[in-house]
Amino acid sequence: MINMFVHITPSHFLILSMVLFSIGALGMLFSRNAFVMMMSIEIMLNAANISVITFARMHGDMGGHILAIIAIAIAAAEASVGIAMILTVFRTHGSVDLDVLNKLKH
Amino acid sequence: MNELSIASNLTPMGSSMGNTPTEALLFWIVAILCVVGSLFVITRHNLVTAAVGLIGVFFATALIYLMLFAPFLAVIQILVYSGAVMVLFVFVVMICNCDTTKTLSLRNYFERGAVSIALMYLLMQIVHILWSLRDNPVSMSAEELAQRNFGSTKSIGSVLFYDYLIPFEAVSLVLLIAVVGSLALVDRTKTSDKS
Repeated sequence: MINMFVHITPSHFLILSMVLFSIGALGMLFSRNAFVMMMSIEIMLNAANISVITFARMHGDMGGHILAIIAIAIAAAEASVGIAMILTVFRTHGSVDLDVLNKLKH
Repeated sequence: MNELSIASNLTPMGSSMGNTPTEALLFWIVAILCVVGSLFVITRHNLVTAAVGLIGVFFATALIYLMLFAPFLAVIQILVYSGAVMVLFVFVVMICNCDTTKTLSLRNYFERGAVSIALMYLLMQIVHILWSLRDNPVSMSAEELAQRNFGSTKSIGSVLFYDYLIPFEAVSLVLLIAVVGSLALVDRTKTSDKS
């Protein structure tokens, strides 16, 4: 049992990645605020990057690092477009609460 | 060898990464920082506080990358996420002036039940994986990785520009499209407000 806490294996990193991804998914599912949803997406992308780099270290392959770099670049692009969309919603509706987007209902 | 100082003492010992107890302690501290920080982010009511917590999570993730022989990625993580993305977040949060909103609103019994079922499933999976997946093989020892310059800027550059040149160029195109798209999104509302 002590062994599990002292000898760090790749499983530890994978479990950390899974916990972070689940926290991000919970925040994404159960928040009304668009900013909190964006931050949850960033947490999930980070968790995915941790697992990819863990696999790269397990297999000694540099391809995982390239995948992580490309994921970081795509995440930056996604953040800029998402924030532009949130800003547009805020200008037209006066709120970033995504429950105000219910024009199709009325 | 110098830039891998955190990870350089790792030697193969069975399935373990062969770390010293100090490195194990460092891993647990950083992992707890990551988890507590992201819980902090999704439960705050003040959005600026949540953004600062997210910066902390990004720094802890950069330390995790350092432990996994990726010093270049750790620096890129701090530069891009903590430097660029979070500055954008904080700016737009302050433009919108909409902090003190209610996050994590569980309205009815259905949502509360769904959240508790999801959490129980998550805990079950964690325990299952902890007991069944205790040994993942590490194919290369730390000295071998350090000899091959694994994760250094030089080897990342050669792999990126020899083997993965087309994805690299495609990402540059995607970044250009994102810049034009976000500008068009924000600008069109401005002109339609005027007209």
